[in-house]
Amino acid sequence: MKKFHIVILGAIAIIIAGLLTMMKDLTTYDSIASAKQKDGKFVHLIAKLDKTKPIEYDPIKDPNYLSFYALDSLGNGTKVVYLNSKPTEFEHSERIVLKGKMQGDVFACKEILLKCPSKYKDDPAQQKKDLEQTSAEPTAQPVSKVEKSY
Amino acid sequence: MPYEGEHLLIGQVGHFFALLALVASIAASFAYYKSTVVISEVDSLRWRKFARTAFILDVVSVLALFLILYLIIYNHYFEYKYAHQHSKRSLDVQYLLSCFWEGQEGSFMLWSFWNAVIGLVVIRTAKKWEAPVMTFLSLAQIFLASFLMGIYFFDVRIGTSPFVLMRNEFPDAPVFQDPQYLFKYLTDGNGLNVLLQNYWMVIHPPVLFLGFSSTLVPFSFAIAGLWKKDHKGWIQQALPWSLFSAGILGLGIMMGAAWAYESLTFGGYWAWDPVENASMVPWLVLVAGIHTMLIFKHTGHSVKASYFFLVLSFLLVLYSTFLTRTGVLGDTSVHSFTGEGKSLYWHLILMMITFAVIPLVLYIRNRKGIPVIVKEESMQSREFWMFVGSLLFFVSAVYIIVLTSLPFINAIFGTNWAIGQDVEYVYNRVMILVAFVLGMLTAITQYLKYKDTPRKYFLGKILKPTIIALVLSLLISYFGNISYDKNGLGFLVAIHITLWAGVYTVIANGGYIWQVLRKNLKAAGASVSHIGFGLMLIGILISSANKELISVNRTGIAIPGLKDVKGKDENPLENITLIHGVPTPMGKYTVTYVGDSSVAKNNKVFFKLNFEETDTAVLGKRESFQVTPNAFLMKEESGTQLSSNPGSKHYLTRDIFVYITSWLNPDKITDTSTFRRTAVKVGDTIFYSNGFIVVQRMLAANKNDNKDLPVVDSAWLSDVKVFAKDGREFTVQPAFLIKDNQPSIKADTVMSQSLIIKLERGASGNMELGVKESASVMRYITLKAYKFPYINVLWLGTIVMFIGFMMSMVYRLRKTLFAVS
Repeated sequence: MKKFHIVILGAIAIIIAGLLTMMKDLTTYDSIASAKQKDGKFVHLIAKLDKTKPIEYDPIKDPNYLSFYALDSLGNGTKVVYLNSKPTEFEHSERIVLKGKMQGDVFACKEILLKCPSKYKDDPAQQKKDLEQTSAEPTAQPVSKVEKSY
Repeated sequence: MPYEGEHLLIGQVGHFFALLALVASIAASFAYYKSTVVISEVDSLRWRKFARTAFILDVVSVLALFLILYLIIYNHYFEYKYAHQHSKRSLDVQYLLSCFWEGQEGSFMLWSFWNAVIGLVVIRTAKKWEAPVMTFLSLAQIFLASFLMGIYFFDVRIGTSPFVLMRNEFPDAPVFQDPQYLFKYLTDGNGLNVLLQNYWMVIHPPVLFLGFSSTLVPFSFAIAGLWKKDHKGWIQQALPWSLFSAGILGLGIMMGAAWAYESLTFGGYWAWDPVENASMVPWLVLVAGIHTMLIFKHTGHSVKASYFFLVLSFLLVLYSTFLTRTGVLGDTSVHSFTGEGKSLYWHLILMMITFAVIPLVLYIRNRKGIPVIVKEESMQSREFWMFVGSLLFFVSAVYIIVLTSLPFINAIFGTNWAIGQDVEYVYNRVMILVAFVLGMLTAITQYLKYKDTPRKYFLGKILKPTIIALVLSLLISYFGNISYDKNGLGFLVAIHITLWAGVYTVIANGGYIWQVLRKNLKAAGASVSHIGFGLMLIGILISSANKELISVNRTGIAIPGLKDVKGKDENPLENITLIHGVPTPMGKYTVTYVGDSSVAKNNKVFFKLNFEETDTAVLGKRESFQVTPNAFLMKEESGTQLSSNPGSKHYLTRDIFVYITSWLNPDKITDTSTFRRTAVKVGDTIFYSNGFIVVQRMLAANKNDNKDLPVVDSAWLSDVKVFAKDGREFTVQPAFLIKDNQPSIKADTVMSQSLIIKLERGASGNMELGVKESASVMRYITLKAYKFPYINVLWLGTIVMFIGFMMSMVYRLRKTLFAVS
């Protein structure tokens, strides 16, 4: 066998070893119900903000405490606690990916990814929605989403 | 219905050029193909002439497309969807170009533009390689033009035209019932994503796309080599192009990193985000290809490997486009594009398959002729270790791309995997070992000669740099204060030994230039880019390992039992709230939020923060500086939102970054509290929730007996002192004025105590002090602050590496030109 072949086999072995070690760090996307069954295990939740329940964030009291309620597509809900500041456009998000783990009745969240319509201006459905709102209030310049500071 | 104020002609002209670009590139590709395959020399030249004309027509069309779209954006023709979705009137002119890259169509146009420019260079320089190489370059242009086509075949729209009208895209929207919709409703655009309103975003995409686009040239040369069965000649031609491509692509990627560093809020230049990874992987493979090409030039080995790496590099460019543009990454990336949906998805898959199948078929058909050297390389030869290095580049590319592709893998196999809680560590722990070995190889391999190296030569030359590097890196390790314990001791050790490899790379390659190449600096390109690589490594390690959160907040409410898997405490809480005018300790600084100023035009607010170092040991040398992070205010249905841009203070050896995470929401100022009124005279004391208020002076005046009161008829002035519980004192001067029998109140405020104090005349004619405590008075911001040390080493390394690539390119180009003449 040539040295090159040994080197190449070595490289393949490294790739496999690398990917195998990676496998143990993989986690899964879960629903709230299945996350509750995996209490204490790190999962990704795909959910949305429950706008009927209060969002608690008071930067004067504690800038690192955000709590809110999340709902998944199956209709289950959970309280979420996120020890960080409230992300920009949080209330406006249509979908959120929560990374963290269930601890009892609370989802202890480490990271939040937001899907916001304004980030996805190229989304045709959202453009349509924007346009319909445009016609609903024809006086100002309503397509613009930015307004002056106070 | 006739609509008023539309500019339809310019769009029709644009659409015409989009189709012309498609037709011209089809003609060019076909004619170049014929020119390659016909046997007669005369026919070949005739086809080539035709092909050149067609390609130049394509270049003209692409330039025209660019110009027309720019005019539409520049002139704010909001009847066009592209202008409406990506720009707005208040946008600064320098960002109008950024509108191009924000959308799908504009970026394909940019890509096509660079291909056109590169094609012209190939036509001028490639000589006998022109026809086969341009066949594939034009083929790529066909695909890029088809992305801009926007034509329906049955029910499927192929490509998206940048010249579609809003009213054609959304025919049901009621605004288009009105012939004057342009004047009444679509008076302004949606604007550019505020994250893209950054100077890096003006130059990063063009450079990156030039890098992407230029990988097509070595790819086309490789296929041309297979096609023409000239398995050696193409490498000579492709090498300078590959060096160019690697230099530019590397620069483009790092410009993106600089953008992320300065404007994204995840606090760093690299986050292993899928979009970042997708652009880096082709570069890794391209660099592997450059090294195997060099091996070939000196020894004749590694032809197959060069074919493989160069073809793969371009395919990975296409794949990265696929990952980032079709929305497959959806949930995992901070900044991937979405929206085009299924049409683009299959369109790009078709493009990938086409560009993968052609080299595969040619390889299978012509592989017999590929030269293979039977003799084995020596372990003491340069090529052996260079090949090991190339393979390692490839291995790391595979590792990164598999992880990055997880969402796509999920989509194919119906799985639901995701990378666990510490994404960066999953990459870092593998990449740090790769970096260590690569650093060592880069340091040592230059001192080996091709084929075989006399032991005495090697040891004689490498001894000195090895010792110097060892001493230097030990000094850095010892004094550099590197104690990154987040991922355990093993990782810390890895950081230190990789740091050594980085220093070794710099010293050994510097030494090689000094010892060996002194008389021939033109040939030093490789060593220079290796030095750049080493510097980058050092910069990355020191800045990441020493990155420091300044705004550590330990007052937060911790959830009991919330610990991570390794049993350590949670990360320190990262945000601190600053109340206007109240100095707050933060790390070794005392920070005061002194004010904010808004720019009405683009709804930007600048926050002024004073930093003062409170290190008492260096009394007299205390530094103080101001940082002004800013934020865009975005009006949403749910209230005003903040899109924050960090402010920074740059020093040579460290940067301080501050960004605002939340701000008193101006919408939420609903004042429910009321004034508590008390009749007062001088010397009276009133209590409030956080201290007490003393009336120190009261003065009544009217204009009859006081000439200083020309404006009002009579006035009651007061000096009121507020004593807060924490010992601070404030003086305010509320007043009560009467003019023309109309009373007016001049209230005064104590921001940090949320107090509004006013003076009024009571029913009995006595003066009363009104005291209100209100949250709405309190102006506050919440922020995060980081310190990055020695980040400039990384940027310096990037530039040095780029210079090295360009030096090598010039050096190889000279050799190629001399070889021809």
